[in-house]
Amino acid sequence: MVEVRMPKFGLSMEKGFITRWYKSKGDRVEKGEPLLEVESEKITNDVPSPATGFVKEILVEEGSEAEVGKVIAYIAESEEELKEEVKKAPEKQPEESVPTESVQKEVKEQPLETPVRSGQTGFIKASPLAKRLAREHGIDLSTIKGSGPNGRIVEKDVLNALSKVAEGAAVPEGKAQVEKLSPIRRTIAENLSEMYRKTVLVTNMTEVDMSSLLAFKKSLTEKVSVTAILVKVLAQVLKALPKFNVNFDGETITRFESVNIGVAVSTKNGLIVPVVKDADKLTLSQVNAEIKRLSSRARSGELTGEETKGSHFTLTNLGMMRTDMFTPVLNKNEVAILGVGRTVKKVVVIEDDKFAVRDMAYFSLSYDHRVIDGADAAEFLGEVARIIESVPFVI
Amino acid sequence: MREITFSEALGEAMYEEMSRDPTIFTYGEDIAKQGGIFGAYKSLLGKFQGRVIDTPISEEVIFGSALGAALAGMRPVAEFHFADFLFTGMTAIANQIMKFRYMTGGQAKLHLVLRGPDGISKSAAAQHSESIETIFMHIPGIKVIVPSTPYDMKGLFKTALKSEDPVICFEHKMLYGLKGPVPDEEYYIPFGKADVKREGKDVTVVTTSRMVHESLKAAANLEKEGISVEVVDLRTLVPWDRETVINSVKKTHRLVVAHETWKRSGWSSEIAFIVQREAFDYLDAPIEKVGAYNVHIPFSPPLQDFVVPDYKDVEKAVKNVLGGI
Repeated sequence: MVEVRMPKFGLSMEKGFITRWYKSKGDRVEKGEPLLEVESEKITNDVPSPATGFVKEILVEEGSEAEVGKVIAYIAESEEELKEEVKKAPEKQPEESVPTESVQKEVKEQPLETPVRSGQTGFIKASPLAKRLAREHGIDLSTIKGSGPNGRIVEKDVLNALSKVAEGAAVPEGKAQVEKLSPIRRTIAENLSEMYRKTVLVTNMTEVDMSSLLAFKKSLTEKVSVTAILVKVLAQVLKALPKFNVNFDGETITRFESVNIGVAVSTKNGLIVPVVKDADKLTLSQVNAEIKRLSSRARSGELTGEETKGSHFTLTNLGMMRTDMFTPVLNKNEVAILGVGRTVKKVVVIEDDKFAVRDMAYFSLSYDHRVIDGADAAEFLGEVARIIESVPFVI
Repeated sequence: MREITFSEALGEAMYEEMSRDPTIFTYGEDIAKQGGIFGAYKSLLGKFQGRVIDTPISEEVIFGSALGAALAGMRPVAEFHFADFLFTGMTAIANQIMKFRYMTGGQAKLHLVLRGPDGISKSAAAQHSESIETIFMHIPGIKVIVPSTPYDMKGLFKTALKSEDPVICFEHKMLYGLKGPVPDEEYYIPFGKADVKREGKDVTVVTTSRMVHESLKAAANLEKEGISVEVVDLRTLVPWDRETVINSVKKTHRLVVAHETWKRSGWSSEIAFIVQREAFDYLDAPIEKVGAYNVHIPFSPPLQDFVVPDYKDVEKAVKNVLGGI
């Protein structure tokens, strides 16, 4: 027989209000199947059944409250158990009978011992730092046992309590591994969240006919990547629309003569964006060689800081993978990034209302709406499409 | 970089500034013929005729005449021989020198420097071993510099020789022979700028003078136990660098203030007060002080060791604050 206890959904949750039992006494229930609905602090949660069996007893009815940790029902694991008499729940909760994962992890956060209180004032001894940390993270100091002199709660104790909360959140159920971010991943995370938070990110998308470009690629004697050709196209458009060839720090816009294009490269350690400098001045063949060189250096982790700095615009090409449209996040200090999806053969309507099979790809231009208007973005995409779709393709 | 002693650094500062500014002259007991009892003025021997002068043993005259000379436009550098002797001339210092700019409503500048040794040596007993810098921090009207290395000694003293306010410089006796890197080129160290002599993350030790070296020794020992100590050398007590201290405490959350002078009402109390007020929410343990017991420095070597703090006391204090006290 398995107990069902009132789980704790939030740190400050003390009681839960049972809004609904999905099962009635005697009903069969699978482990993990929603058993009841609990409301606390204006949030409603489903409580899954801790075991497969039959609902043997419901102790707290719908519309009633129960304290966290209190037994609210029993599940019989067999029909025989269903017939047995219910024994009174033990006062202390044995570990084996913890009903659900969420209850299990929350139980740990309950005070193991009564916190130190001096006299009858209810004063809790805690260092100023511990108090501030607890305040900032919404931790109730009365739930923490102090390890300092005379039971004073110190920084370490609050941090321990915090990490338990974090563990609880990060380990949902079953086996799990906790891994710290690598330094490079942490930098990526910081940059991305900074840009995501600070910019007003909007993405415009359009479908582009790649047939002419691909025919051009095929006609070349030298093997050149689509990415290299796109970099050359972008260099031309950035020259024509200098609004996009800038850096923006939230207050000042820096316009550049040179056209430096970042090319997103996926490596085993994460996304890296080396920069093709002066892309407008290089020939297609030079751009191709430069991208090849930078990508291989990126993958072997040899890139220098110089090689990843100074881009004004970024190209992220997922064309070789299964993605049609996406909303790329801006590279640091930039105002726009072009995401290219996979090329797919499609039946399209061409001139004179005829059908044709064409190589189509979606282009997604993400931009910082604070400095780039929707019309600017549309003009940019239009210009890119015009060049790529021109027959014959010239660059 | 070349290495010179603390004493030579002081001599160089004097030499360079006296060469630059003809109004600087210096006098005190046993300096002209002997080059100072700790040899700091050796480099001035036979140079600067009439500007390096021996005086009779009369502190009242030495400090009183320094006031007069400064008012007459000179930059006197008066040596006090032993910090303990400052008391003998205290009426000239506390009642005249430290008040003059205030009582004239700032009309008169008072560029004079009082300098000399303080602190313990080998059994010099109660009247030749005191550290009394706190008194000069307590009474308004004089800048207090307390260098701990040859580099700091030279840079701070050169700044003192350009100051428009009275300055008092305490040089610990046990530091005169200490060698350290000092660049060939001229430099000045501004007052009120602490120097982080060692970076750490667990506990901040704020200190000056000889106790900087004791604290560094403690930090090196504690590192072996996995305790990371940041040593902040204030270098000047008036003014003192609140920003560096508070930033350090915000990082480590624990503070020890260490000085050789008496613990009771020593300047550590002032630092501790400011830190608890400015960084209250960052403290994870009560602030700890290291200082001498509340008795005069004994002649007996074992008793002197017992009364005056050293690296072992710093280690103990650091462990105390880590344990929350």
